[in-house]
Amino acid sequence: MDNIEQLIDTLSKDAQAVKPAPHPFKLCLLWIAGGTVYLAAALALTGLRPDWAESFRNPLFVAEIIMLLGLFIVTALSASLLAFPDLHQKQRIAYAPLGQALLFLGVLILAWRADTPAAPLPEHSIECTASILLTMLLPAVWTLYSMRKFASTHSRVAGSVALLSAFSVGALWLRLHEVNDSILHVVEWHYVPAFGIGVLGLWLGKVLLKW
Amino acid sequence: MAEQNDDLEALMRLSLAGDQRAYATLLRETTRLLRPFLSRRLRFSNEVDDLLQEILLSIHKARHTYDGKRPYKPWAYAIAKFRLLDYLRAHYSDQLRHAVDFDDLEENLHEPVTETGMSYESISGEVQKLPEKQALILQMMHQEGYTAKEVAEKIGMNESAVKVAAHRAYKVLRERLER
Repeated sequence: MDNIEQLIDTLSKDAQAVKPAPHPFKLCLLWIAGGTVYLAAALALTGLRPDWAESFRNPLFVAEIIMLLGLFIVTALSASLLAFPDLHQKQRIAYAPLGQALLFLGVLILAWRADTPAAPLPEHSIECTASILLTMLLPAVWTLYSMRKFASTHSRVAGSVALLSAFSVGALWLRLHEVNDSILHVVEWHYVPAFGIGVLGLWLGKVLLKW
Repeated sequence: MAEQNDDLEALMRLSLAGDQRAYATLLRETTRLLRPFLSRRLRFSNEVDDLLQEILLSIHKARHTYDGKRPYKPWAYAIAKFRLLDYLRAHYSDQLRHAVDFDDLEENLHEPVTETGMSYESISGEVQKLPEKQALILQMMHQEGYTAKEVAEKIGMNESAVKVAAHRAYKVLRERLER
């Protein structure tokens, strides 16, 4: 008890005025704005797919892009809440990426079923995954670095969601840049690696978001 | 109850503004709140005290993540629960690391269990041949009777590192003595 009293005494003497952390919604808006600027810059540098106007006439392609955008927004929002010890008392929103991922899966299944006759597979394969990983690097570092300033009590999930948010930026960029209509290829080399990224995020979160 | 909650939130708002007395009161109130929560989950009162101190430190470190606009208790309990789980995880993994392997036990059953037949003094020559840090740790633990935690505090290492070093030293000694 004496030790506790002593600690309280020390901590209170050490207590200076503290600037409260920004609201998670503000934080999330900052990440979304940053991610959007980065995506726009990446597309400006590498170019939009030449058949973009035609692709946007395909409702399933549009749905896929909307789902990816949704995933980016929802994971950014979730990551911002997960950076706070009590999830800012908005638990339901923090776990919203699960619902968004299910919707995304639904759109992919629809696109797969509509892919008859199957579009020809492109010649490349792992290059797509590598490109997404390279593109997501900067947003991932930024998000994780920002999250370290807070105090996550769900560090593994927070790390995973942060990486998935960055991954969705990379995936969006590639879908808007590469001329490719093979849903099989897209699922295999664009989206399945997201599971690996999620697992890597669990570990990175544990290591980097420790406090 | 609602009044007490308001008080806690108000105290935290004042603390964030740099009011040291309000902060001390808030930490005392938090200790009073959390003690029963921890006592129900931990066996020994010294564990409760240790963990309470850790939680207070965490609250201090994370106080910028509280804006004074939402209830204080869920925020404080989230930190307490997080540190409690951390503590339990470390505690049980430590117990597992030191658990006796049944195969080892079986091998040693025929040997006298009340007496090792070997004292620290009888192997001190071998101990001195170990790397300096390992020798010091074994000497403190087996000749001077310190616990791993006390050794850790005295030589400025963490407890797990002391245990790992001791474990490695035992392994080397066993190999040398079996030769």
